[in-house]
Amino acid sequence: MSIKSGYFKKHLHIDLTKGTAEHRNLSDAFIEKYIGGRGFGAKLVWDNLMRHDFKIDPLGPENLLAVAPGPLTGVYLPSSGKNSFVAISPATGLYGDSSMGGGFGIELRQAGIDILSITGRAPELSVLFIDNNKTTIFPMPELKGKSCLEAEGMIKERLGTHAIHVATIGIGGENMVRFACVNADWSRNAGRAGLGAIMGSKNLKAIVVRGHKDLPVYDVVGLMAEADKAFKYMEEHKYFKLWQQEGLMNVIEYANEKGILPAYNFKDSVFARHDQINGATMLDRYKIGDSACFSCPMCCGNICLVKSGKYTGTVVEGPEYETCAMLGPNLGIDNFAAILSATRLCDELGIDTISTGNIVGAVIEGYEKGILSLTDLDGREIAWGDEDAILELIQKIANRQGIGDILADGSRHIIKKWPEMDKVILQVKGLEQSAYDSRASISMGLAYATSDIGAHHTRAWTIAKEMEEGQNWTDDDKVDIVIYHQKLRPLFDMLGVCRLPWIELGLSERHYANFYKYVTGKETSLEELLELSNDIYDLTRLINARLGMSRKDDKLPYKVWANPPLTGPNAGKVIDREDFQKLLSLYYQKRGWDENGIPPAEVEKKFAD
Amino acid sequence: MSKKLTVIPEQCSGCRICELVCAIKHFGVNNPKKAAIRVLTTYPQPVVRMPIVCSQCKVPTCAQVCPVDALRWLDGVVQLDEENCISCYKCVEACPFGALYAHEDCDLPIKCDMCGGDPECVKKCPKGALRLIPEAALGESRRLNNVLSYTQMKEIEFYEKGEKKVIRYAEVGKEEL
Repeated sequence: MSIKSGYFKKHLHIDLTKGTAEHRNLSDAFIEKYIGGRGFGAKLVWDNLMRHDFKIDPLGPENLLAVAPGPLTGVYLPSSGKNSFVAISPATGLYGDSSMGGGFGIELRQAGIDILSITGRAPELSVLFIDNNKTTIFPMPELKGKSCLEAEGMIKERLGTHAIHVATIGIGGENMVRFACVNADWSRNAGRAGLGAIMGSKNLKAIVVRGHKDLPVYDVVGLMAEADKAFKYMEEHKYFKLWQQEGLMNVIEYANEKGILPAYNFKDSVFARHDQINGATMLDRYKIGDSACFSCPMCCGNICLVKSGKYTGTVVEGPEYETCAMLGPNLGIDNFAAILSATRLCDELGIDTISTGNIVGAVIEGYEKGILSLTDLDGREIAWGDEDAILELIQKIANRQGIGDILADGSRHIIKKWPEMDKVILQVKGLEQSAYDSRASISMGLAYATSDIGAHHTRAWTIAKEMEEGQNWTDDDKVDIVIYHQKLRPLFDMLGVCRLPWIELGLSERHYANFYKYVTGKETSLEELLELSNDIYDLTRLINARLGMSRKDDKLPYKVWANPPLTGPNAGKVIDREDFQKLLSLYYQKRGWDENGIPPAEVEKKFAD
Repeated sequence: MSKKLTVIPEQCSGCRICELVCAIKHFGVNNPKKAAIRVLTTYPQPVVRMPIVCSQCKVPTCAQVCPVDALRWLDGVVQLDEENCISCYKCVEACPFGALYAHEDCDLPIKCDMCGGDPECVKKCPKGALRLIPEAALGESRRLNNVLSYTQMKEIEFYEKGEKKVIRYAEVGKEEL
């Protein structure tokens, strides 16, 4: 049974150097095999690498940036507002992707596009406007140096409408900060892997979309019935209201209790003043509204306002857990208003809060340890909890001023400049680590080490399960759960939906196979979709292997081996190098890759189409 | 019909499920741009997420501007006579709330028909931001909120059975209104 619906079968390719827009058709075989989202993106990136003989500068005009919603994006089912950005990452020099929620991807699909790809470089700062079937590229040099929000406002004014969706970069992206994000809908970001820097390198300030088309759905009645079951399950869940109220901020308390909350650049994994920066404090003193991505009943976004003190008037959508942890406890900040201010700053500048929090934390510790001198810091002292100095440093990074110019190039370059920084900065393959401390969870360590984009929890997040029920797990259990996550979580990114209903409220993943069936008309099973997702994992591994990555790069940050958390339930715990290597070998074996972590030659043939 | 569809913008999260279910119910397609209810979002100042839907006015501006008398208030709903409508879209332009919509695929203005008295959007809103209430109850929650946020309110703390509580009271005549 083949695909009957669910796609426009359209690929729009933009060459900014030539200023051309080309509509290409997608074949049924392509659609079935790659599904959408990161699947489409990875294949286009692979083909582009082949064209350039694997010699691609991530910030060169030859790098291809794919913007890819999935076949379920914008469809009536829980949390269908996701859209992936895919390219060779300026942070890692390897495969990179990041997804954003909100409404941008829906609008792109409603313009009749299943995937957008962009190469080249515009002669001056430009805007790409996809208006249903019409595509234009126009220069807007006046956007230079504008924040994401300012740019969005100016574009809406110029086009004379508010009924558009705008994905912009801030000054961080323009300055090619290697952890710059793409921002849309005020505070929705494709945050990781530095994809905003790619737009900056292409002189592309914004992608604007407007679409009116019906999204193709094979069986609307069947879809509605299935979706209503899923919505009902979620609404009856005991934690549903908590998610609506606190969103991801409820994780702060959990992470602190379990001893996995980064504090003082991961020196510790609990934070004494957690009650000052947790979900309850946010609700009590700062929250003024809910914010949801498209078709999501959980509305995990919080709109916060500072009503008193020096940050009065700061209004921001957020923070969520990662942002709060990385810009709060990880920098020794216990003032929620300051966290909100730092969040707003990062959103305006268009830089990733996770990487920023890591790098600023590493600078503070580096200075504390004497790795960085006061001269390195341009004569400005910085210390844990020093809000003013921290906010200043964030500005300097995005504007590439002083030390900010080096920090803006990310972990890899920081370590090249100051090799001792390797001991304080938490990163894998050049991507700074998410806000879950892996020292008490070896499966989480394996997840970070083998994630295709670097130390991010997007591919596998096994830490909660291991902390809760993993005491007697065998090595097989640990590897199996990581691989299962690495199949399922990327599948959500291929379908264009959010994984939170599944991971947080336990919505069965089987629903998604049914959603796919009702949308495309293709009979399938979850197992079949997971295999297709697994093929994409092989493909991204292959991309990375061909770019020179191997077992030596599947390692963990120095601290994870050497420096245990100082206090809390996991005080004293580190991951043993030998245990880890044993687990890694088992992981390769189960994946069918060789001892060096390289997929076999026949894998490559799969993607020759 | 004596019930009104009312919107509580403070409760709205902007998820647009109302748009989706409206379009699916009336057109059978997954297209939020064909809904008779739309969530308008503004940010960062002011932060508003407000679903905009027909108020079923008893003296409807849309009907007043209709050159062929195709819009009429009947039984609590401003009803569109599809046979007589000439699709001039004067009603869409005239509605003071912008609560009528147009779409290039559709021959007629898109207007809320209250789903025959049981609106789909009200049933599916996950935040309770859309409610169906008796006409006489309109404004009730606003009145209550207004009273509670009365600017002259003072607070005192007290203990009842060892538990700390707060009582609010209006201080009359101490400050100018």
